[in-house]
Amino acid sequence: MDHEFADQVGSVAGVEAALPRPHVERPWSLMYLLDNERFLAVVLLAPALLLLGAFIAYPFVMGIWLSLSDTSVGNLGHFVGLQNFVRAWDDSIFRTAFKNTFIYTFWATLFKLALGMWLAVLLNRHFRANRIIRAVVLLPFIVPTVLSTFAWKWMFDPTFSVLNWLLFRVGIIADKLPFLSNGTWAMGCAIVVNIWRGMPFYAISFLAGLQTINPDLHEAASLDGANGWQRFWYLTWPLLKPLTVVVVVFSIIQTFSDFQLIYVLTGGGPANSTHLLATYAYQVGVAAGLLGQGAAISLFMFPVLFIVVWIQLRYVRRLEGV
Amino acid sequence: MGNSARDKSLLSKMDRRTFIKVSGAVGVVAAAGGIEGILLSRTPPAYAQGVRLHWVRWVDFIPEADVELKRQATEASIDLGANVQLETINGNDIQARITSAIQSGSGADIFMMMYNWPQLYQNALVDMSDIANAVVKDQGDFYGIYRPSMDINGKWMAMPHSIVGNAIAYRKSWFKEVGFTQFPKTFDELHKATIALKKKGRPYGQTLGHTFGDAPTWTYPLTWAYGGAETDPAGKKVVLASKGTRDAVSFMRAFYKDSCDEGGLAWDDTDNNRAFHAGQICGTLNGASIYIVAKRQKDKIRDDNGNPMYLDIDHALLPAGPAGEQQLYLSMSHAVMKYSKNQKLAKDFILWLHKKENFRRWLVVSDGYNVGANTAWENDPMWQTIDEPLKLFRTAARTTRIFGYAGPSTAKATEVFSKYIITDMYAKAVQGMNPEDAVRWAETQLKGIYEA
Amino acid sequence: MVEQQWRKWAYCYIPLALFVIGLIFPFYWMLITAIRPDSELYRAWRAVNNAPFWTFHPTVAHVEDLMAKTMFPQWLWNTFFIAIASTIISLFCGLLAGYALARLHFPMVGTLGTAIFVTYLVPPTLLFIPLANIIRDFQLGDTPWALVLTYPTFMIPFCTWLLMGYFKTIPRELEECARIDGATRFGAMLRIIFPVAVPGILSAGIFAFTLSWNEFLYALVFLASPERKTVSVGVVSELIRGDIYFWGQLMAGALLGSVPIAFIYSFFVDYYVTGLTGSIKG
Repeated sequence: MDHEFADQVGSVAGVEAALPRPHVERPWSLMYLLDNERFLAVVLLAPALLLLGAFIAYPFVMGIWLSLSDTSVGNLGHFVGLQNFVRAWDDSIFRTAFKNTFIYTFWATLFKLALGMWLAVLLNRHFRANRIIRAVVLLPFIVPTVLSTFAWKWMFDPTFSVLNWLLFRVGIIADKLPFLSNGTWAMGCAIVVNIWRGMPFYAISFLAGLQTINPDLHEAASLDGANGWQRFWYLTWPLLKPLTVVVVVFSIIQTFSDFQLIYVLTGGGPANSTHLLATYAYQVGVAAGLLGQGAAISLFMFPVLFIVVWIQLRYVRRLEGV
Repeated sequence: MGNSARDKSLLSKMDRRTFIKVSGAVGVVAAAGGIEGILLSRTPPAYAQGVRLHWVRWVDFIPEADVELKRQATEASIDLGANVQLETINGNDIQARITSAIQSGSGADIFMMMYNWPQLYQNALVDMSDIANAVVKDQGDFYGIYRPSMDINGKWMAMPHSIVGNAIAYRKSWFKEVGFTQFPKTFDELHKATIALKKKGRPYGQTLGHTFGDAPTWTYPLTWAYGGAETDPAGKKVVLASKGTRDAVSFMRAFYKDSCDEGGLAWDDTDNNRAFHAGQICGTLNGASIYIVAKRQKDKIRDDNGNPMYLDIDHALLPAGPAGEQQLYLSMSHAVMKYSKNQKLAKDFILWLHKKENFRRWLVVSDGYNVGANTAWENDPMWQTIDEPLKLFRTAARTTRIFGYAGPSTAKATEVFSKYIITDMYAKAVQGMNPEDAVRWAETQLKGIYEA
Repeated sequence: MVEQQWRKWAYCYIPLALFVIGLIFPFYWMLITAIRPDSELYRAWRAVNNAPFWTFHPTVAHVEDLMAKTMFPQWLWNTFFIAIASTIISLFCGLLAGYALARLHFPMVGTLGTAIFVTYLVPPTLLFIPLANIIRDFQLGDTPWALVLTYPTFMIPFCTWLLMGYFKTIPRELEECARIDGATRFGAMLRIIFPVAVPGILSAGIFAFTLSWNEFLYALVFLASPERKTVSVGVVSELIRGDIYFWGQLMAGALLGSVPIAFIYSFFVDYYVTGLTGSIKG
């Protein structure tokens, strides 16, 4: 077997010199099999599918079973149908968490998109500190979320907030701002931290996209009299749409199922005003031990994400396909 | 295991040598004391044959207590011929570990339990009645809070360990300035005193956030002190929406606006400690850690005049409402997990831990932050020499209730607790909701849990 | 000319500076906190002597404590090992799968692609309980392998997707030529296509590495011994002791857990950018 493989590989290396070799020479060799598209596909997909199958598909199915049962910690559950889902929907805390998740995801994504794009446009120039600035800009994305969120938590702290100090010194406020103690403010602060953390990813991704756009196009457009904004809107933006869709889809998935940030920053408070589906599911499943109900709450995320993703993929296919 | 001190040490030495010969490795580095001690005891033992007993507790608010426990773990390892490893994690994360351990059937052998968790996890725990009864015989009865929390069908599903009492830590001089040489005895008096104090820029501090310590230990007793309760004594009917509860909520609404630091809605269990040490609040409900830390860091924590702050700190029990004085304390216990392969060893270890001399050492190092689970520990001589402001904690555990009142403290009560329903009821009212509506909201939530 | 300069400043440099300040400000603050002596750390925001932005008595005590007295170096190593290992696995799987989905024709190619993508939608807060069972069955509890095998579950879908896009941009002619000259499909893939895809591989690798570096929930639940913990879990459990947040060491940990990585990234950023560029053309 190895001989043959070496032979074939050798033939690739000496591509110009070798004579073409017909494939039928050794019908049952491994190479022949691997040449078969289907077989090769199976072999190539096997590692990914095995790993995902073992560590996602199987637990996912178990998770679905959990959500359809009344399992609690240490107790075997019985099938109860959709009871957990109905119960969740009747729960006002759940509805608040559901609503919060949409608000959080919507605003965070919108700002990350806009600010990320703007930053990318700014970075898409040649200046000396380019490489350093690009690396530095990635920092919020790299630092472990738990740690940076703690830092922010302290920056918002009612007693020690450096932001309060700054605004006070500059004269903008007379008394401290209720960063995390007021429901609406707290949600706002969480969104700000999420934007801070996620924007670099958008920026760097868009930067990549911008660099594929031929600068001649921009030249031509400005010769035709288009100003900066018009050039962006009519030229750059349409070209970046496929990239935007990919980036936004992944970001929405991450943000919608966000757990760490809220867990560390507010724990869902005050009075559930910052609870997201993931944090509430955790609270019900782990703190109250109601695994079945927690699983059901988690699963509410799935169809929503699926629909969002499906819509965007169809949009991409429309762009591509036509 | 009743050797005299000298024999014991000889025995220990001999055991140690044999032990090392057998397993060929050194045990956990003995703690040196102080913060370094905890952090230094990090070398993982590498026994070839020793049985490992994995013990998980929260990170104690008094660091020196953890140092002592790690030292005891080493000593117990030698005495029991095994490898006892204490892992301390953030109190908020314990339940995640317990849950995944129970569901996957493997994990630590002994978990620390808080409040009535043994009720919640009862099917996964080992019956500890033999140990509990042995300790009762040795040291007397437990406090009343334990039976409802972990006695299930006459069996002790966990071994009571200690209780973290809480009381209001307050600045003596500041209260004196507004005319209160004694701490206010009723909530209305407290309201009056703190209105004056807030006007001077020294508000009272109370968290209404999603915390497992400082928030419920205020909100539940406040409800009880006004006559409110979650359920009837049978634990079946939800009776939260009573006049008592509404009065309590109305009180809190006024109290918060007039007297409290409004940032409290965002506080977790540590923020009030820091605010107090920074001289921002005049009083707050907490365990003894505010005083103890202020004393231990007397050079860093000072008052406005430059004197060590701890000299100005005193404690008082929660004031009384119309229905009397009530408390909710953080009761701790240890449970042995059913999936553990070392159940006998675990039980032996817990028995060892509760030996009078071992337990006492830990209690003394805690400096009043914890009280023993048995009432007899009230009479221990350490309380004579302890600082005046801490003496109050000695009898603190006598008048406590556990959540779920007036019914038994079952898993449903835990669900209410872990969803922060009672705390949120107050938080909503404080944020502007009509007390009627807040109470009604909480009642609906409770009904969903109890009567679904 | 002056007008040009003005425009440059207003539309370019000033906004850029604002962005950089906004993104980096928390790090500056973390730095100051990490070198500030304890006695200055807890001053109320309105206190007269509060000076959050600078300190006249910088100290390295916190960093020392962090490195010498906690297991931070060990955690750093653990996290690094787990991140590298899981990234390699994810890249391996993603590379092969991406190629298969981009280039090969076989039944269900669309469905499988979607299936891989859909697994990305399953939230970890749902998975971690059932996963605990699996980890136990494979006896991986409290070993780094529990994470090395579970992290790829959220890294593979993204890597696959990214590399798939990248492969689509590589002209088919390249492979056709190689095969006409006698190479097998497999050989062509290995020898011709993969080397061209290196920028895409690097960019997927960087992203995967970051995801792994950041993860918390699985690390919390599947690891128990202090010496096995990752930076996120270890720092949170060791440096937040009940009431006391060791802010100095916490912030030092945050910085040491991110700045070196950023430094390494700075060398790859150009690849990262070109990698994404390639994948998006398709």
